[in-house]
Amino acid sequence: MFNLSELQHDALVEIFNIGVGHAARAMSEIVNEEVTMSVPSISFLNRADAAAMLGNKDTSRVCGVSQHYEGAFSTEAILMFPEDKSLDIVRLMVGESVPLKELTEMEQEAMSEIGNIILNSCVGTLANIFSQELSGSLPQYHVGTSEEILTASGGQANTVVLMLHIDFILEKHQIHGYVAFILDLTALQDLQEQVDRYLAKVMGSA
Amino acid sequence: MMQSEANRLGMLDSVLGALNLGTVVLDHARRVVVWNAWMQQYSGLPGTEVIGHDFFTLFPELKGKRIDSAVQQALRDNFPSVLSQTLHKAPFALFANAAARAADERLQQAVAVTPIEMSGAARHCLIQITDVSVAVNRERLLRDQALELRSQTFSDGLTGIANRRHFDVAMEKEIRRAKRAGTPLSLLMIDIDSFKAYNDHYGHQQGDDSLIRVASALAQMLQRPLDLIARYGGEEFAVILPEMDAEQSMNMAEAMRATITGLAIPHVTTATGHVTISIGVATHQASDPGDIPFLLGAADKALYMAKRAGRNRVEMAVPA
Repeated sequence: MFNLSELQHDALVEIFNIGVGHAARAMSEIVNEEVTMSVPSISFLNRADAAAMLGNKDTSRVCGVSQHYEGAFSTEAILMFPEDKSLDIVRLMVGESVPLKELTEMEQEAMSEIGNIILNSCVGTLANIFSQELSGSLPQYHVGTSEEILTASGGQANTVVLMLHIDFILEKHQIHGYVAFILDLTALQDLQEQVDRYLAKVMGSA
Repeated sequence: MMQSEANRLGMLDSVLGALNLGTVVLDHARRVVVWNAWMQQYSGLPGTEVIGHDFFTLFPELKGKRIDSAVQQALRDNFPSVLSQTLHKAPFALFANAAARAADERLQQAVAVTPIEMSGAARHCLIQITDVSVAVNRERLLRDQALELRSQTFSDGLTGIANRRHFDVAMEKEIRRAKRAGTPLSLLMIDIDSFKAYNDHYGHQQGDDSLIRVASALAQMLQRPLDLIARYGGEEFAVILPEMDAEQSMNMAEAMRATITGLAIPHVTTATGHVTISIGVATHQASDPGDIPFLLGAADKALYMAKRAGRNRVEMAVPA
């Protein structure tokens, strides 16, 4: 599979951690409670491996929020949680427990907003650090198998998934989720080029 | 050409006016440039009072809130945002009618903020507000009913402890667990002594009160999370005690008997003069092949023995 140099890898991990830090602050303000988020690791996978990482493809359902971004590089960004975790995260944020096994329509909207905050923060931080502009679509909510969610967002077979592991902590609960950036080869090259440019700038000025 | 352009503008204006959706456009300096009829109707503010004014000066309470950063993200970063009703309730002071305004009951709102590219001008942003009051009320109803249904299906309406159905489900689960883990499982069958005579003498109202007192006194004695007391029948209770052997469960039963005697609820038609209980105890050992009916039968037999032996007693089932 595709690999970044250690330097490129570390730069991206750092940028994403800044991004989810912004998202955590925004969410803390909404719920008036401390929310912390971090990105412990990232990896590049093909779509099948990415789907497998999210759990058994036949039995477990995944809940996803996706947004499409275009500009310096184009990508479909998807925040994903196993379905039961998405219930946890929304109900922790809302502070109300509902005895229903699926997110209600209004809870799905809340999940979309959580996804919107996290994805905009991640992509926004990237864009900002690369001094580039991207435009984004409104978030869309999906439920299905990991395979379905990764393919629903379009793209050809030869795409690469940049997978972020995300730890979300609220009220002593830790919830593990993922953000996937689906990149075609052009987008991947664009992203790598942006990282290199950023590194050159940082190294040059150091 | 000029004429048709004017027509188009006029039509767009009418469309905005007809939209069943709050529509606000802010320019790059966050000044209001569009404020449609829907906004006018529900906010009570005519366009003439808001157009051209700084949005966050008009609505200072929104400053620093999520809508503020959403507008900033649209204008600066070109990213759209959504604000869900669930996480924000009602950020804008919008009211269905004068009565709602007087009661300070705002419309429930879902908000979307999207960047708008302008040819020849800096980026604007569009704020769309949807009234989701109907959906919110529907879900509140659904949630309340689901909560009520769940508590009804598993608890006894009078005493509030588990009902027979809950007992059956728990028993099934616990006996499986005991067999798998090789641990003992004890069952107590409890009956209030001479309860028919109590009802006849004191009336059903007071009979119910006594049932509630006995049930809650017994329930308070169960400290471990998997212990369960259920109302099994009229004045009969069943207690599931996982991982408790015969001796421990006899001790528990004896303590329960003593507690109820200690309540000293008057019952003049009995020998003791108080409400008392009889208890039959049965224990399922890891090595027993027996199943649920067998354990229930054993506890029932022991209870019958306690009754026969003079009531206000605890009896242990004889091992099969």
